Amino acid sequence: MTATFEPRLTRSWDEPEAIGLDGYVRRGGYDALRAALGMTSEAIVETVKESGLRGRGGAGFPTGMKWGFVPRDTGKPTYVVVNYDESEPGTCNNRELVEREPHRLLEGTAIAALAIGCRTAFIYIRGEYLWQSIVLERAIREAYDAGFLGTGIAGSDTDLDVVLHRGAGAYICGEETALLNSLEGLRGQPRLRPPFPAVEGLYASPTVINNVETLMNVPDIITKGVGWFREMGTEKSPGTKLVTISGKVERPGNYEVPLGTPFRVVLEELAGGVLGGKQLKAWTPGGSSTPMLTAEHVDVGLDYESLAGAGSMLGTAAIMVMDETDCVVDAASRMIRFYAVESCGKCTPCREGGWWATRVMDRIEHGYGRDDDIPVMQDLGKNVLFRAFCALADGTASVINSSLKHFRDEYEEHVRLGACPLKVDHRPPVGASVGAAS
Amino acid sequence: MSTQPATQMVTLTIDGKEVTVPRGTLIIRAAEQLGIEIPRFCEHPYLSPAGACRQCYVEIEGQPKLVTSCTVQVAPGMIVRTQNTNETVEEAQVANLEFLLLNHPLDCPVCDRGGECPLQDQALSFGPGESRYRDAKRVYPKPIPLSPLVNLDRERCVLCTRCTRFCDEISGDRFLEMYDRGGWERVAIAAGEDFRSPFSGNTIQICPVGALTSETYRFAARPFDLSSADTVCPHCSAGCNLRVDVRRGEVVRHLARDNGDVNEAWNCDKGRFAYRFPDDPGRITTPLIRDRGLEPASFGEVLTWVAQRCRGARVGFLTGGRLMDEDYYALSKLARTVVGTNDLDHRRDEGSTAEEHAAAHPMAVTYDDVEHAKVILVVGLDAEQEVPILHLRLRKAVTHGARIVVVHPRRTRLHDVAEHVLCRPGEEPVLLDRARRGEGPLAGVLEELRSRGDEALVLAGPRLASGSGMAAASVWELATGLGARFQYVTRRANDRGALIAGVHPRLLPGGRPFDVAGARAEVEAIWGPIMTEGPGRTSRGILEAAAAGDLDVLFLIGVDPLTDHPDAALARRALDNVPVKVVQSLELGSLESFADAFLPAAAYAEKDGHLTTWEGRGQRIYPARPVQGISRPDWEIFAGLAAAMGGDLGFDTLEELHDEMGRLLAPTQATWERNVTTELAGSPEIPEGSVHLFTYPLLVDEGRLVERADELKLALGDPAFVELHTADASSFGVVDGAHAVVRTDAGEVELPVRVTDHIAPGAAFVPFNNPGLRASTLLSGSFDTIATIEAVATSDEGSRTEEVSA
Amino acid sequence: MALFDGAVLEDARTIMARYPEGRERSAVMPLLYLAQSVEGYVSLDGMRAIGELLGITTAEVEAVATFYTMYRMHPTGEHVVNVCTNLACMLRGAREVHAEALDAAGLQPGQEVSDDGLFTVHEEECLGVCDFAPAVQVNVANHDTVTPERIRTIVADLRDGRTPEPSRGPAFRSYKEACRVLAGLDQPATHVAVASDPAPAAPAFAPDLSQGSSVGEATP
Repeated sequence: MTATFEPRLTRSWDEPEAIGLDGYVRRGGYDALRAALGMTSEAIVETVKESGLRGRGGAGFPTGMKWGFVPRDTGKPTYVVVNYDESEPGTCNNRELVEREPHRLLEGTAIAALAIGCRTAFIYIRGEYLWQSIVLERAIREAYDAGFLGTGIAGSDTDLDVVLHRGAGAYICGEETALLNSLEGLRGQPRLRPPFPAVEGLYASPTVINNVETLMNVPDIITKGVGWFREMGTEKSPGTKLVTISGKVERPGNYEVPLGTPFRVVLEELAGGVLGGKQLKAWTPGGSSTPMLTAEHVDVGLDYESLAGAGSMLGTAAIMVMDETDCVVDAASRMIRFYAVESCGKCTPCREGGWWATRVMDRIEHGYGRDDDIPVMQDLGKNVLFRAFCALADGTASVINSSLKHFRDEYEEHVRLGACPLKVDHRPPVGASVGAAS
Repeated sequence: MSTQPATQMVTLTIDGKEVTVPRGTLIIRAAEQLGIEIPRFCEHPYLSPAGACRQCYVEIEGQPKLVTSCTVQVAPGMIVRTQNTNETVEEAQVANLEFLLLNHPLDCPVCDRGGECPLQDQALSFGPGESRYRDAKRVYPKPIPLSPLVNLDRERCVLCTRCTRFCDEISGDRFLEMYDRGGWERVAIAAGEDFRSPFSGNTIQICPVGALTSETYRFAARPFDLSSADTVCPHCSAGCNLRVDVRRGEVVRHLARDNGDVNEAWNCDKGRFAYRFPDDPGRITTPLIRDRGLEPASFGEVLTWVAQRCRGARVGFLTGGRLMDEDYYALSKLARTVVGTNDLDHRRDEGSTAEEHAAAHPMAVTYDDVEHAKVILVVGLDAEQEVPILHLRLRKAVTHGARIVVVHPRRTRLHDVAEHVLCRPGEEPVLLDRARRGEGPLAGVLEELRSRGDEALVLAGPRLASGSGMAAASVWELATGLGARFQYVTRRANDRGALIAGVHPRLLPGGRPFDVAGARAEVEAIWGPIMTEGPGRTSRGILEAAAAGDLDVLFLIGVDPLTDHPDAALARRALDNVPVKVVQSLELGSLESFADAFLPAAAYAEKDGHLTTWEGRGQRIYPARPVQGISRPDWEIFAGLAAAMGGDLGFDTLEELHDEMGRLLAPTQATWERNVTTELAGSPEIPEGSVHLFTYPLLVDEGRLVERADELKLALGDPAFVELHTADASSFGVVDGAHAVVRTDAGEVELPVRVTDHIAPGAAFVPFNNPGLRASTLLSGSFDTIATIEAVATSDEGSRTEEVSA
Repeated sequence: MALFDGAVLEDARTIMARYPEGRERSAVMPLLYLAQSVEGYVSLDGMRAIGELLGITTAEVEAVATFYTMYRMHPTGEHVVNVCTNLACMLRGAREVHAEALDAAGLQPGQEVSDDGLFTVHEEECLGVCDFAPAVQVNVANHDTVTPERIRTIVADLRDGRTPEPSRGPAFRSYKEACRVLAGLDQPATHVAVASDPAPAAPAFAPDLSQGSSVGEATP
């Protein structure tokens, strides 16, 4: 494995000039766009379908199929919207992908636009990624100047504009319909489906929404082919995946691995093991909204199917590692607070469940837990999971359910002792300040 | 919807019972058809699905997660289980109610909604017995007045977004929004702003908790204190179905009743909050007779007195527009068969032959037709101000894809959804005539009207029946020529009923023209011989005759010509010169010094009968309380007068009256239509330095029916103003907010000026009856006239403006 | 409205022109940043002005403004210091950094603006720099792997009128200045970045990450 791995999305990461147009073009950049301009849109969609590329934003939906859903005869414009709202706690691979090679995103976006006949594409970037928006804005200008965007792209008779839209601090805008609302100048709350964005998305027009990493895979699929793409990864999850590993490890960072790589390899070989040689206690495989796993799951492969088998999800492949000195109740409390703060407020289980759970968890962690708090948390997890309008609240439930499943004794000990057994550094209870208006 | 393809039906099973519903039906609706109640808060049948409260979970066999039945449409063969047959669903609903109650203050004992609260009711039926929540609840300052009418208590709110969706989807008055997010998401209004929407009260009624409450009903009653009756709104021709709530004999509340054919679930704030007039201290509930002064007398005494003076005399009848169908019918018959006159009129102006079309063509255009039209031309109607619920339905038509073009002297509140063509009063037919030749701004919409058949509507408003605007008939003619459907839209609650009953100098019941022998014969077959000959006088003719000493007796029935008619000076001369004035109304008001006899009439809340909408739809109203004092329904007074004159109207009971009316009010044929002669009079020439002044009543003004509705006036009323086009304002040297003198042949008044681009150049608008101006004092017989505008020099404009608005 | 006139009104029109005709409402977010770049926070006047430009009500603007955390609804410090305390950063000591930031800026818990008007310190959700935790943003410019000592230096520098050099991208002298860039205006002309602490050497089959975040250093 070690011998055959060829980095794909990260292959130019140690070459600073890849950030600019010249450097990108010197490395074969925009060849895929030229090739795609010579293909029919159907052929582009078919190629991406055959590649088996799945969305890298968390849900893993087949990309080519998504593109194929877009009707072409509605008389309305079609839109490509790039989801660069990377906000799942623990996740930052999209950030670095664009920092290092912004033109690959623009090229992938342009090919997606060709596939669905789109003339205006939007990139929705989270507001906190200010530096990355500057990088992208500059790349967009370069691409316009070089004729890869604008009127008659790459010498063809096809036009494409790309508009960069900055978010302003809302995790929920990573949910694609909330993102669309936000882009339309509304509150970033999710929309009912159906209608699905492919039929009625941005401005009630057919829309494809793709994650940054997904689109950055596309140029190579066009130039190097489906067979090449499938050389790495698994049958159902072909290709590579950038994983982010953070928390208690020696070398936190973004690493590209073939899908299916065991967690142990990422932890020990890439990230240098648990920080300070401590024992692994718990880890989230795909951001804080995916159910946490324990040391006994260290050999699980990082792909959609294997993680599902272990009771969790690949999510954004954002691994956060906790060691033996970390209090799971404290960590869960912090994650639950995140979902309460980021709840859009639209639906009851998410809004009120998050509110309630935050308060109970806070009390337990700070030694004010009661005997009936743990059954309440158990019920809360059950009553929130799969009951909300969108998947955000499932994050709350996942944290509650998985932490209780693997570390119930630690909860009980908090209640029994009236204090945190790990004596982590305490803060005063957050209480009513949770989710307060900024 | 004849053009729609046949509806596909879908059969599914809910709780083991099969039901067949149209494709596209939501599960929650299908369950209702089976009588299965699924609890819900955010769901409302006239609002878009939200899926926000999550209370209405059901299980669909084969789907791993529960779904909300308010957002999922039925599918063939679907097997649905509700809380009645599925434990998981039941548990989920209980859990959700526990969530909803976490932060709810549980202050039902002091909440206006207590006893009629969906949250209270559903918590008891579907919720947990008690809460396990022990932490601090969310607190907010409360109550927050959103306007003088609506209060907000955020602690009670369950964030269902019904109110914000109403503002967004239905009224388009987007004052209420959800602010913030997560646990602090809340209903809010921008700082310093009032919820100044004429539909604001609907948000109170659709609030499923006590978060939005009515200032006028605050702490007023408990549901078990109330006796209620179904009625129809007495204010305008929209015909909103209402429930009147009475506590200890006093009207304390109006609620909208759901009628999908008419007002859906809505009404306007005037209909909701202007209900105190029947209990006004000025109300008189005993007959009066002028001997030494106006003194109480028995009904028999007054009727005999009046009858004596009517016998062989020249009598004229003027009425308002808000009596019942039964009243108008009895009056029509009294005048023609007992008193012997055609001098009876309910209108305030010369009218139009389009009214005769309306009288003979009930339901030519309905609300449903409006909703499903593809193109609608609205001429001479400010729908929001004059028939507010029609305004809402026009907005709904736009959401279904209709194109609406409004031709009006000033912009209307449809401006965000409709095209406006502004023209001076009277220019409408000229513009349309040009459009017929393919010229001018309306050429395009005319083409579309021509191509849309049944889905093309032309609505002509009351503005077209007045003075130089006598254009409704030519608009009718035009619509007919295009193949579009036409409706003349009356304004007051029962103008249409008066037309149909023939309280009109040229019409008999059922739209039968008096001067068409066959039509008259049909009426005589039931009434017996009609004593009168030739068409009678219009309202203006009646007033002129009275002023000239050509009338002996003038009846003023629910009308005050001093304010209602567009010529206050003429009305005054009429009252001065007619020997006997008989007032039949709830009160005397400004007629006190003129009345020779007063006949106390019952108010709408005490009446049993019908009101007819602008469509021509008759709707039943029921009394919510007994008549006050010894007042009587108007039709009974007319029957009594007939008897006192030795005649007989032929009915002593409502049943007998209905029996007879039924035979005459329904038009039997359309052959009475006469050729309409239309003149393209156009707008009058405006002399240099003058403007074309026009006026119509705004929704909330100083009318008698909004008496004591102080909160409503505070919320939506305005002091009088004159509205001028920017170009005219600059040529007169006036600026927005400054004062100007408006001078006409009839009078003059100083008013604050509003300058806008949204009025036709050369036109000027004043409201008809707002504080600071009775516009009838500026008019000479029609609702428009020529006026001059003169800037008032002032050293300190700011302080002047404040004075006026104070 | 006074907020949007002259050059700022021109900016507002430029922003609105990014979106398809008839879809100008999409500009509400960048316009809120623009208003914030003028006033340092989103004022009622600012929201009214935006509503007028876009033909929507003030409430519709405020509903959006209050939804997102990067719009400040109250007067704010000249410098906004955001400390991520989400899990990845928390595990690497972010709470201490946050406490230190408050102390250094002279803020009591819950105090929005320091008495000298210079600082607002917020506890922030994940900033997407989990690989260099704890992550801090000073006027939306990133500072990686911040220690309590480092945050004290950063705050001291700001107080002395110096602009601390971020770990990546340009620095902004104030929150207002950053908001102009967030509105899509005044994009810094060059790619100047400062390297973070070098990341440890990567294993054989993955790319060498030893260059850390030396993004664009050599790009002109």
